[in-house]
Amino acid sequence: MLRKAALVLLIAGLPLAACAKKPPAPVEPPKPTLPDTAGQGAARERARQDSIAAAERARAEAAAREATARATAVLQEMVFFDYDVSELRQDAQEALGRKVPILRANAGITLRVTGHADERGSLEYNLALGMRRAQSVKDYLAGFGIDGARIQIDSMGEDQPLDEGHDEAAWAKNRRAEFGITGGGNAITLPGS
Amino acid sequence: MRRLLAALLTLLACAAPARAQQDTARPPGIRLITRYAPATRPALAIRPFAGANAPAEVLDSLTTIVRRDLEYADRFSLLQTPAALATGAVDYQQWNALRVMYVVTGELTPAAAGYELELVVHDVVYGKVRVSRRLRLPAETSPAFRLAAHAASDDVVRTITGRPGIAATRIAFTRQNPRAGGPTQTYDLLVVDSDGFGQRRLGGVAGLIFSPAWSPDGTRLLYTQNQGGWKLVERDVASGTVRTIDVGQANMITTPGYSPDGRRVAFAMWQTTAMELYEYNLAERCCLKRLTTVRGDDQSPTYSPDGSRIAFMATRLGLPHIYVMPANGGAQQRISPYVHGQNGYYTSPDWSPTGTEIAFHGHWNSRGTYQIMIADAARPGAQIRQLTSEGANEDPSWAPDGRHLVFTHAGVRGSSPGLYVVDTGTGTRRPLTTGTDAYRLADWSPVLLTAADLEVAGP
Repeated sequence: MLRKAALVLLIAGLPLAACAKKPPAPVEPPKPTLPDTAGQGAARERARQDSIAAAERARAEAAAREATARATAVLQEMVFFDYDVSELRQDAQEALGRKVPILRANAGITLRVTGHADERGSLEYNLALGMRRAQSVKDYLAGFGIDGARIQIDSMGEDQPLDEGHDEAAWAKNRRAEFGITGGGNAITLPGS
Repeated sequence: MRRLLAALLTLLACAAPARAQQDTARPPGIRLITRYAPATRPALAIRPFAGANAPAEVLDSLTTIVRRDLEYADRFSLLQTPAALATGAVDYQQWNALRVMYVVTGELTPAAAGYELELVVHDVVYGKVRVSRRLRLPAETSPAFRLAAHAASDDVVRTITGRPGIAATRIAFTRQNPRAGGPTQTYDLLVVDSDGFGQRRLGGVAGLIFSPAWSPDGTRLLYTQNQGGWKLVERDVASGTVRTIDVGQANMITTPGYSPDGRRVAFAMWQTTAMELYEYNLAERCCLKRLTTVRGDDQSPTYSPDGSRIAFMATRLGLPHIYVMPANGGAQQRISPYVHGQNGYYTSPDWSPTGTEIAFHGHWNSRGTYQIMIADAARPGAQIRQLTSEGANEDPSWAPDGRHLVFTHAGVRGSSPGLYVVDTGTGTRRPLTTGTDAYRLADWSPVLLTAADLEVAGP
């Protein structure tokens, strides 16, 4: 994404800027259609500088966008549960552990954690089960110092399956907690970058 | 039906869990027996309603509705009227020879804004008119026509059996609409007449609608909805006005129900770390009170008919069981069977409006599918009757006669998923509204109209 954006900018800048950053080999300037004058040369130089600055801005923005996208993917990674329990499995704890540094580095991020259940169990019981799962997630993150006020919890019970199937493979996908970023999600800093 | 009747089981939970453990198909300590006391069902005939000046299709329609209602009452054996006895004066001797005990006749006359129905119940055995009433019916084009016809049917039931009929009632339920690819799921709130006709949608939201419950006067529905936040709402059925009942901050609110006097509501709410039961004073709009504090989730409160006790579901044993406690909280008693080592699962209780029976659904081990069961609240742990045995059956709700139940059936070979009605007296089962597994969480209304409301003042 980043590379493609930079390339587009380079190509767009070619007719104006006589030189590109890479490769450093001189590029033959396009044939002038008008006689070269001092004023035109200065304008061309300004345009060249502007184009470089724009390309750098674009690179920085693209890098930020990529960081945000990567952080968003980590924050939105679902966690899965065993049948009829809300305790976090090892893989779920690890997935939550990956969210912690991002949440710490970006105090403005707020989350909505929605618990889900598979189709077994009664409709109303499963609402509560989904809520217990969301609460487990919230409690676990709180253990790492993430303020509970940043995490809203909800449950959809068994009503929004990821997989509409009626076997263990489908149920395993449906017993989960999903993460929605409700605030501070526009620009996320990746810790250590 | 016969097969169902035969499959009708009684589940005995006794205190000897060690016995019968070699039998994996049945729960240890629980004995299955068939048990149905045969009841007398008096023979009854309905003569096609007459009326020289009434349109034939209205007469047909009215006769059909009343006849169906009396079938669905499950208290009579209905006989066809022989052509020779279809008109003229009621010949008691001939009816008696056919062993018919009651004959119902109706005479329909056009009147202002509808009709007047002279409804007569003839007692064949005594050879006389038992009751004769003149009822005002709205025009057949009015939405109130069917309910008035149902009220006439209920009057026949009350005249003959002394018990209330349930024809003039409706069942509220929710429908989970298909997601159509998008992230937003919509839910609708619907009602249908007790005979399965007149189904209509009251409203819907983009979000969840759960657990509708009728107010004791039948004018309002209480339910919870989630549209990015849970709310307890009350809808006026006639006007469609919806208002939120503010019970404070909560992560989730579920399973509301009115007290029998309609002054209070009980519901489950997740405020901090678990579902707990709360009571709110609806009449004075105040006084939120927490009713339970035990570890685990509590849900589905349902008041006893005198309002003094509440049955509910609690997960303190790990899996859900049914408990009873005083309506203002306090000592709790489990009424669903607990057998050590079996993953019994019992939930969604509904207290009978006329007695001590509590209906719920559940299964006694993890291999089972959900079935409709009934416990005696006065004898905790004593005896559980199982009313269904095929497919998965959930979320029962009592009719106001304390005898019929509506429930959700998931569908098995040869039966369509949807809402069904079972008569706990005979085991008879009938579809109410079917064809989709999207219908759920049915709640049966109180009686919405009686013949007294329609009676024309005597001359």
